[in-house]
Amino acid sequence: MTDATPDQIDGAAAKGRLDRLRAGLKRRHAKETRFKWYGRLAIAAAMIFLAILMVRIVAQGHTAFYTHTVTVPVYMDPARVDRAYPQGSNFEQMAAEQQLKRWGIQDDAAGAASRQMKALFSSELKFVAADLVAKRSDVIGETVPLAVPLSDEADLYLKGEISRDTPEDQRRLTDQQLAWLDRMQAEGVVGSHFNTALFTNGDSTQPEMAGVLGAVVGSALMLMVTALIAIPLGVGAAVWLEEFAPKNKLTDIIEVNINNLAAVPSIVYGLLGLALFINWMHLPRASPIVGGLVLALMALPTLVIATRSALKAVPPSIREAALAMGASKTQTVFSHVLPLAMPGVMTGAIISMAHALGETAPLLLIGMVSFVPGVPHAIDQPVGALPSLIYIWENASERAFHERTAAAIIVLLVFMIIMNTAAIILRRRFERRW
Amino acid sequence: MKFRIFRSAEDQTGAGVGAADPTESVRMGGQVLPEATSPKAASAVEARLEDATPVSGPTVVATPPTGPIKIAARDVSVFYDGKQALYDVSLDIPDKTVTALIGPSGCGKSTFLRTMNRMNDTIAGCKVTGRIAMDDEDINDRSIDPVLLRARVGMVFQRPNPFPKSIYENVAYGPKIHGLVSAKSEMDGVVESALKRAGLWEEVADRLQSSAMGLSGGQQQRLVIARAIAVNPEVILMDEPCSALDPIATARIEELIDELRERFCIVIVTHSMAQAARVSQRTAFFHMGRLVETGDTEDIFQNPRERRTLDYITGRFG
Repeated sequence: MTDATPDQIDGAAAKGRLDRLRAGLKRRHAKETRFKWYGRLAIAAAMIFLAILMVRIVAQGHTAFYTHTVTVPVYMDPARVDRAYPQGSNFEQMAAEQQLKRWGIQDDAAGAASRQMKALFSSELKFVAADLVAKRSDVIGETVPLAVPLSDEADLYLKGEISRDTPEDQRRLTDQQLAWLDRMQAEGVVGSHFNTALFTNGDSTQPEMAGVLGAVVGSALMLMVTALIAIPLGVGAAVWLEEFAPKNKLTDIIEVNINNLAAVPSIVYGLLGLALFINWMHLPRASPIVGGLVLALMALPTLVIATRSALKAVPPSIREAALAMGASKTQTVFSHVLPLAMPGVMTGAIISMAHALGETAPLLLIGMVSFVPGVPHAIDQPVGALPSLIYIWENASERAFHERTAAAIIVLLVFMIIMNTAAIILRRRFERRW
Repeated sequence: MKFRIFRSAEDQTGAGVGAADPTESVRMGGQVLPEATSPKAASAVEARLEDATPVSGPTVVATPPTGPIKIAARDVSVFYDGKQALYDVSLDIPDKTVTALIGPSGCGKSTFLRTMNRMNDTIAGCKVTGRIAMDDEDINDRSIDPVLLRARVGMVFQRPNPFPKSIYENVAYGPKIHGLVSAKSEMDGVVESALKRAGLWEEVADRLQSSAMGLSGGQQQRLVIARAIAVNPEVILMDEPCSALDPIATARIEELIDELRERFCIVIVTHSMAQAARVSQRTAFFHMGRLVETGDTEDIFQNPRERRTLDYITGRFG
């Protein structure tokens, strides 16, 4: 039956064959539908995880983007202000005592009330007042309104993060301090505004004064070093391996090694960097130059692989066309093959840079987890990096650092999104270049 | 040269002949006509071949070309990774003539074509032996730079492969890299004349700066020919230049080849017997890596002297 030629199949057999086809067809369609649904489920699951991550980070971090300031009138008592060295004067104590006096509260001999009042102001008060005195000595003897940040705990209370329902001994602020904060708010001297310190300051031990700028600059310097080293080396190596290298045992070994290096855990690169750049070459610890070199080592294999696959994707007909025109091998590669592979090369480069930007483990080993105040401006100074800043803040004991951790993560993610968008834009631009 | 061939269909592309039984060449080979038989008895070709006296070993039936020889190949063999693809091919290619290389797929005709501009050099594991002389100069000699050779021997491929750049840049590329033209105005002239000679000028004159990829397949192939002739080569190799084109585009390319013949030595590989008959003056028939028969195109098609040639051109195999 099965080997009957079409014209030998009679009516019944033809019908049987058609039925079998129909049954099979139904099964095939069912399989197809099922597969479509697997795909949709997978995408949905991925989207849900992403949404949970984003919602979680934004929910935790959005409060870090605004902060509270209190405006207090401070009488610059000539007896207590040190004219020669304004920073030496105890402005916080002055402001706290004056505030208690204004409210008619009697301090005890030990100064417990003024100590509690002082704790509501950020220690930044001292620097604001000292700056003012240094600039205008005529304010001494006058009463000047000073706008100063509230301390991190007071700020958290006003953001609703600290509840009165928590027993007093389990929170940092006493009932007395909470009552004073409520009174300040009722008097209208407390204002909330965008937390510029988060973007203009380096790291600080005071959460209300801590910012990501130092880490952003550190990461940018490091990435610059990485890009300057990894991109030329990686693209060069890939071009040589793909276009010029003879196919022999040696190049086979090199190829296998590059593929394996791409899978080496990043912390191993950190160890290598520690041994090679710091202990042997004596480059400055925790500096962007060392960080950049380590990240460049880590990015190289990925970059070589991405570039090679971009070069492989260039149709051989283009190579043949150029060679047959009498172009030399170098001319063929650099004026035809590489330009065509450019979008892929750029994408590979930017993706590996974005990967390097987010890498933390190797940075821990070259000392980039230390507290670095201020904003760096040289590649041989110790710096912080965004991922290590996130790590440091997450481990800090002050609660106010936790919302800032989430804020720093948002900054890092925004960086990544900017880099990936740049990759897409460059890709588009290069593809329709001529 | 215009004469009708027995079959007009262009799709006589052979399939699977390369994988044929290796003993086939032994069975089919060696049926060479005795020299004494007169080639004039065209009507009795079949009968004569049946009675042909087999001789031992494959022998090439060759009638030498008239006119000056541009390329002389002697005992050319090609090996890919030690596997022989071409066996001792000796062929004279006359100047200012179109020579067609025909034969079933995998017969070595493209391989032979690529030995003439040393494109086989670019394939890893490929070895060429024998001597190929262009104007009595061995092109495989150490002193010959393949870059210079390819400036003298242009090539057109099966699929149009313009560079993904503008039409102008495509044509100007050769003269630019070989440093033949320096001034911009001179280059404009070179591009224009190359495009005119390739019969493309009328169609692209107003859009020289637009992408070559926007042209149709036939236009792209003529652009590639323009690109090849812009450096004024002495020889143009064409590897099935029309196999990716429709009949109208094919006809235009064929006309172009006929015009170019006056200035260049042209070697064309084709799967279309009709095309070989239409455009070429000399034909070489390859089979299983060997040159079987070569001679004037009219003789080969009307009066083949080898059994396999007859079988191939009449469509018995291939």
